[in-house]
Amino acid sequence: MTAGTVDVLRRNNVQVLGNPEGRPMLLAHGFGCSQEMWRLMVPHLEDTYRIVLFDQVGAGDSDLRAYDRGKYDSLHGYADDVLEILDELDLTDVVLVAHSVSAMVGVLAANRRPERFGALVLVGPSPRYLNDTGYVGGFTQADIDGLLDALDSNYLGWSATMAPVIMGNAERPELAMELTASFCRIDPTIARHFARVTFLSDNRRDLSAVRTPTLVLQCSEDLIAPMTVGQYVHQQIPGSTMRVLNARGHVPNLSDPLSVVREIQDFLA
Amino acid sequence: MTTPAARSDGERPAAREDSFEELYATAPCGLLSTTSDGVVVTVNDTLLRWIGVARDDVLGQQFTDLLDSGSQLFYETRYQPVLQLKGEVREVALALRRPGRDPLAVLVNSDLVTDATGSPVHVRTAVFDSTARKGYERELLLAQRAAESSEARVRVLQDASSAFGSSSTDRALSRALVSSARDAFAAAAAAVLLADDSDMLTVSAGSHPLDQSVPLGAARPETDAIRRSEVLTFPTLDDLRAAYPEFGERLATTRYEAMTVAPLINEGHPLGVLVAFFGRRRTFDDREVELHEALARQAVQVFGRLRLQNELVQLALHDQLTGLANRTLLHEQLDRVLVTAQRNLRAMALIFLDLDGFKAVNDNLGHATGDTVLRTLSTRMEAAVRRSDIVGRYGGDEFVIICEDTDEDAARRVAERIRAVVSESVEVAAGYAISASVGVALYSAVLGTAVTAERMFHLADDAMYESKRSGKDRVTVVRAT
Repeated sequence: MTAGTVDVLRRNNVQVLGNPEGRPMLLAHGFGCSQEMWRLMVPHLEDTYRIVLFDQVGAGDSDLRAYDRGKYDSLHGYADDVLEILDELDLTDVVLVAHSVSAMVGVLAANRRPERFGALVLVGPSPRYLNDTGYVGGFTQADIDGLLDALDSNYLGWSATMAPVIMGNAERPELAMELTASFCRIDPTIARHFARVTFLSDNRRDLSAVRTPTLVLQCSEDLIAPMTVGQYVHQQIPGSTMRVLNARGHVPNLSDPLSVVREIQDFLA
Repeated sequence: MTTPAARSDGERPAAREDSFEELYATAPCGLLSTTSDGVVVTVNDTLLRWIGVARDDVLGQQFTDLLDSGSQLFYETRYQPVLQLKGEVREVALALRRPGRDPLAVLVNSDLVTDATGSPVHVRTAVFDSTARKGYERELLLAQRAAESSEARVRVLQDASSAFGSSSTDRALSRALVSSARDAFAAAAAAVLLADDSDMLTVSAGSHPLDQSVPLGAARPETDAIRRSEVLTFPTLDDLRAAYPEFGERLATTRYEAMTVAPLINEGHPLGVLVAFFGRRRTFDDREVELHEALARQAVQVFGRLRLQNELVQLALHDQLTGLANRTLLHEQLDRVLVTAQRNLRAMALIFLDLDGFKAVNDNLGHATGDTVLRTLSTRMEAAVRRSDIVGRYGGDEFVIICEDTDEDAARRVAERIRAVVSESVEVAAGYAISASVGVALYSAVLGTAVTAERMFHLADDAMYESKRSGKDRVTVVRAT
């Protein structure tokens, strides 16, 4: 193993489990959580697939020292990480199951290095959250500002300012975060930047270049990625399949994990 | 003073709740329950009163429909996953919509209620009015953001100041500027391009995704920033395509979508540009433009200082009359060339020459004419040698040429050319015969011997005297052994 191997696997807290002989399946979590959000699906997949879990830098147990603001100022930086993980593990014919913002990370990665990928499963994808001329993404700039306010209120506002003081550990705010949310741990400063990158990016023109067989999994009532956006993604990605889950909300991998698993299995069968 | 008389339980019904239903309905916090996928099934009067909505308009709705849009995003991406994974969330700050009024700031606790098999059944939520706290917190938050923003700016400029100050070359300074810019603007790539004598901007540090060099005359963002003497920002590819169609199309083939250019101009003299590239569309506000300007200003000051230092170094190491290397620089360079030759097992040559007939020019035509002759001959010698040869004035009418990586044949050719160009007539000294007595000392590391710079000068000097003794205007070659 080279030093680079250790760095990439450590940086993204990569976990490999499941069937060692199985087809590799990389599960990519979205904004706001960590690899924990696959917890309810993994038990139903690990007999068949070689499961690779990872945390985006800034989330979960990733190495926060690896956060380079320039690199992660666009989804390309996150796509680089995905490709580096696949390179380190030397995986091909990979099924990338990507939730929310990671769907576009997956599209960028698959377009750059299609030879690594066998299938894309995009759960609640959106290439552009902001409305634009002739395009309804679902949000306005004011909505995004509102989210940043909500983030600040919950992480950078009162509690985040006070918690490190209370803990007497202002130099290491991540310890305080661990107390306030041991689930889906995210670094507040990085979360704020990630939110901007996520919700202000425009990846519409990357969709038509996808050549990997793609399944678009759309929730029937999803505020973050509405039905029209899912249809747009489906229309733009040549030859893609779209399936609608009868599920409310944006996180079917938690609210209806069995349906998501079934759709993935049907698509790959 | 009287003490209230003790009463039996039955005598104080006002101290008891009439019913749990009433407690639920009018509790001093909002209460509601939803199905596991968020449909509201129960809500209390307190919450309805706070948000000014009728019960029938809430029951059967999604809980997210009660939230303002920023809170919806937060709810879906953060609140929901944590609730599902952990079974509870505590003190989450959200904002509830209120028809005709500003949203109500609340803190929310939720529990996920499961059945005997662990499957989620309900979500119970308590809502606390946090308007007062929110108002105070909002001020804190705005103050904190402003402080962070100006602190970040001060930090960037301070870091830049110390990194720039310790740079001793244009390249090191360019590297420091690239690093500061990437840090300050979260740029995916940045580069410093410096103008050279041939009117080109060339990358000095960092990476430019398209070009190593840009002609100053080209219609490009880099050159326009210099011409207009202001920071140019291009938030999207479309902005670039509109202004520079060809450049915009080429950039569209990379992963970059936005760009800024800051000109580096020192007292009206263009030094170059700082360019930054971004992997997504960006907005650049006044603060960011000002930060570009401040970084560029700091860098320009240091570039100016480095240039001044270079000029001083140039003065200290060069002959003032001819501009050739002076004795100090010649010794430095000879040491370096010898070390390189010994390390790489290569040959080198040192050429020493003394002018013949120059004293007569000086005595009869004056020192000013003598100086003109020396300048003319210097220019001729520089033109006659190869690009890698170093020509210097050793003193008076003595000159030295250091020839790196040069064998005997090549050294003889250079010496012969020098001898030839010196003997051509000089206009201001027409009628005076000037020639050169030339000595060449050869060194070859292949022989395995080491030699000092002093020894080489000594050998070349001796060879030059040999040329003088045997009739002048000729070349004598000796070998260092």
